[in-house]
Amino acid sequence: MALHLNLLHEEILEQRQRQRDPLKLGLLALIGCGTLMFGYYSWNAYRTLEIRSRLGAIERSWSKMEPSVTAAQKKVAELQTLTKTVRSLDDYIADRFFWAPLLQKIAHCVAPNTQLTSLDGTLDEARGVSITIEGVAAGREPRAAAEDLRQMLSEQLGHDYSEVKVEFKSLEDLDTVVNLGGTHMPLARYNLAIAFKPGAQAKPTPTPAQNRNRRKRDSE
Amino acid sequence: MSQKLSKEQTKKLGLSIVGFIFLVYIYFTFFLGPLQRSRADMLKKIADRQSKLDTAQEELHKAAKLEQNAKDAMVRFNALRKVNAEGAPLAWFPPRIKTFFANEQIDKAVARLEGSSELKQEELSGWLRYNWVIDLPQTDYTTLGRAIADLENSEPLLLLTRLSIHAMPDQPQFQHVELAAANLIEKK
Repeated sequence: MALHLNLLHEEILEQRQRQRDPLKLGLLALIGCGTLMFGYYSWNAYRTLEIRSRLGAIERSWSKMEPSVTAAQKKVAELQTLTKTVRSLDDYIADRFFWAPLLQKIAHCVAPNTQLTSLDGTLDEARGVSITIEGVAAGREPRAAAEDLRQMLSEQLGHDYSEVKVEFKSLEDLDTVVNLGGTHMPLARYNLAIAFKPGAQAKPTPTPAQNRNRRKRDSE
Repeated sequence: MSQKLSKEQTKKLGLSIVGFIFLVYIYFTFFLGPLQRSRADMLKKIADRQSKLDTAQEELHKAAKLEQNAKDAMVRFNALRKVNAEGAPLAWFPPRIKTFFANEQIDKAVARLEGSSELKQEELSGWLRYNWVIDLPQTDYTTLGRAIADLENSEPLLLLTRLSIHAMPDQPQFQHVELAAANLIEKK
């Protein structure tokens, strides 16, 4: 085995120690990390700048659009209010109670032997329509003539209105006799109170035949 | 090859670790942290603005559509406004009623204002309800019926709330009539 003499032993050791110097290694590691961190930071900064330019573009388009949007919102609010107002007015118009058809109906109910002397009607949103009719009826049986009028009114008004009530407030015979068609007939004075709700009476909903059959089958 | 570190080397190693920690601290606190915060803020702003833009686009679309749909409502509203004349109702309503009943062969018609009130509905806050009493001293039932029918048809914002017909004692073919009417009139 050949003898190997290392005469630079101390120098080599020193060089190795210098190479393994922790401060130097630490500094190298620090520089490496710093470079990586800088790179990462630069990448992030680039992305941030990109985002900033995107934000700027969006801000610009928003500032361009904002006045028109504000105007549009105002317009929408105005139009919605207007539409609601028109709907309410239309409802008001549609829900009105018309007196002319009622007067026509009453006129049709009055027979030649009955006479109206006064008619007072009031419309109340909650209670409906209430009418007081005063008049005189003539006939062999003047009370029966007045009752005919009451029944006729009840029947006729019941076609178009709901919860119709026609009642006598008073019905009294008079001493006066009138000549009707050449015949002398006694008179009766009546006072009728009419009450009803505008709007036709709700018709009962027919029971579906299917259900009835099913029930029958169930019972079987 | 485990070689024990000398005191000097341990000191240097400690110094390197402290330097590294300091660097990391500086990096995150003063560089990357603020950058990421500002980026997050900007992203939030972008999302906010984007949603606003989307909403704005929708609003514009909705406004255009609503404007198209509301054309009928606008026409109807203008028509209803035109039903009533300009100016104080007390100035134009009684003469209008007088002319109306004169055209219906009822010569004497007097309308007087009983009062006005606000409407309950919020949508009709721009309108007032004027209550009138219309006095017809002499008319007959058929003419009155026809006149009331025409009045109800020609005045859509007018509602008769009370009707009083009394036969005249000396002329039973004629009646004295009193009507109470409520008319919706836009506030000026």
